[in-house]
Amino acid sequence: MKFLNNMTLGQYVPVDSQIHSLDPRSKIIATIVCLTGVFLVREPYGFLSWGLFFVLIVSVSRLPGSLIISSSRPVWILIAFTSVIHLFFTKGVPVFSWGILEITREGLDMAVRMGLRLLMLVLFAGFLTLTTSPTELADGLESLFSPLKRFGFPAHELAMMMTIALRFIPTLLNETERIMKAQIARGADLDRGGPLRRLRAFIPVLVPLFVIVFQRADDLATAMEARNYTGGEGRTRMYPLRWSVTDSGVLMLTLLFAIAVSLLEKRLMP
Amino acid sequence: MSITVRDLVHVYHPGTPLETKALNGVEFEAEKGKWVAVVGHTGSGKSTLAQHLNGLLLPSSGSVSIDGITIGPGEKSLRAVRQKVGLVFQYPEQQLFEETVFQEVAFGPKNWGFTPEEIKNEVEKSLAQVGIGPELFGANPFRLSGGQKRRVAIASVLSSRPDYLVLDEPTAGLDSSGKKQLLSLLVDLKSLGKGIVHVTHDMDLALGLADMVFVLDDGKSLLWGPPELILWELLERDIRGLVIPPLVRFAGRLRDLGFEVPLTWDPIRLAEAISGSRRK
Ligand SMILES: Nc1ncnc2c1ncn2[C@@H]1O[C@H](COP(=O)(O)OP(=O)(O)OP(=O)(O)O)[C@@H](O)[C@H]1O
Ligand SMILES: [Mg+2]
Repeated sequence: MKFLNNMTLGQYVPVDSQIHSLDPRSKIIATIVCLTGVFLVREPYGFLSWGLFFVLIVSVSRLPGSLIISSSRPVWILIAFTSVIHLFFTKGVPVFSWGILEITREGLDMAVRMGLRLLMLVLFAGFLTLTTSPTELADGLESLFSPLKRFGFPAHELAMMMTIALRFIPTLLNETERIMKAQIARGADLDRGGPLRRLRAFIPVLVPLFVIVFQRADDLATAMEARNYTGGEGRTRMYPLRWSVTDSGVLMLTLLFAIAVSLLEKRLMP
Repeated sequence: MSITVRDLVHVYHPGTPLETKALNGVEFEAEKGKWVAVVGHTGSGKSTLAQHLNGLLLPSSGSVSIDGITIGPGEKSLRAVRQKVGLVFQYPEQQLFEETVFQEVAFGPKNWGFTPEEIKNEVEKSLAQVGIGPELFGANPFRLSGGQKRRVAIASVLSSRPDYLVLDEPTAGLDSSGKKQLLSLLVDLKSLGKGIVHVTHDMDLALGLADMVFVLDDGKSLLWGPPELILWELLERDIRGLVIPPLVRFAGRLRDLGFEVPLTWDPIRLAEAISGSRRK
């Protein structure tokens, strides 16, 4: 039985690096730029450029490559699945057929592209949460969305909900692991059989988990109220966000890179 | 027949920035019909050790064997071992999920493939052992009181008919009468020949009830011996995370003041010694 404790998707890993110490807002915007850029890529050359860019920022962040790979592991299956769907269901010139299954040249092309594109999206998005603490992330989002407050957009509430949700992910994983272990110790067999049997086998984990989660949520709400939390109005900050020259620089460079890759790709296109 | 741990090393998250060496060369032993207390400061690796004793965690290096079966990654040995060694986690009532007390306790025996008669027998026997009467067999476990839930959870481990029982802080969060009941249950189980491994912070309990005490410090075996020996060591030097029980301190002070009393954690014995020494 493999437990969940082998790192989880995009959980924050505090390391002292230039990327970690950037303003969360610049990281959020830069990530959006990267995601857009990756989404527009079509040619091998574009994928290669973004790949190199990713390797570069990972090495600056001083996170080990093995960690990046293992933290994206949970979505590999999803990516593989999408690729396979594209492989078999894209119409075009057949290169191989077997019974009703048919692989077309277009299908192959799409499968590789979609797979790579999804993988890169996951890697870039995961990189943001690996290098930014949940609190910073929420503060950054709140600040980015605050111009919308005038129109009644609940920026603070959303940010607070996100902080709490993100804050609870590790707790939830710990609890899940603990309950799984307890049930396995009583002989529960959690990873055998077909999907339906597995789902049923998970009831002994899910029921206690729900009980614990509701209990925790209730405790948290009480604790927040007891400390006089009433929402965003009039709340001060411990660490105000600070936008530095580096942030502007990083953002400009990312933007330029994305534009350059897209333009060059257009020109290289036949 | 025993649980034998040799040179056990356990590393969490190897090869990541979160890498932690929780156990580092631990030697440990537990026998049937004996009570071993495991003590040590917080983070010393007690829970990690406990989870190795029935194969929930596998050694990074070193070996754990139970009645001659060495724990390895193979599924077969793991299942055999997990049935032999019952593990009671801290706050075991949180793992309840069935609709009735009876079904909850039957969960383990069903998983091990006991026959229907065996299941019924084991469930009734275990619930009787923990003092839950037949009138509660049909009750919803979530409606029970805290102490009752804890006892049902322990019964749900006993019903698998384990030879050893490993309990991680089983008395946490119980009031003093709940604590007493639980401990006397453990004493009974020991006299029935089960091996008890009791992870605890409470030195009074460790010294008072255990046959052997095992002290972990920073993932290493620090001390291993009968309660008396551990007490003498404790008086000699500070051991991280362990406190001298108040009664022993009291006896020690009396001795300093010239009374002839033994250093003991047993209140009755101390009282008798005091009254004896005054009459002299
Ligand atoms: N699932 C886990 N992932 C990573 N590290 C862990 C995990 N569980 C325990 N550790 C680490 O291993 C070390 C030993 O932990 P363990 O829980 O075994 O100690 P303990 O003696 O039971 O402590 P306590 O008295 O607080 O229960 C600690 O440094 C802890 O942070
Ligand atoms: Mg512990």
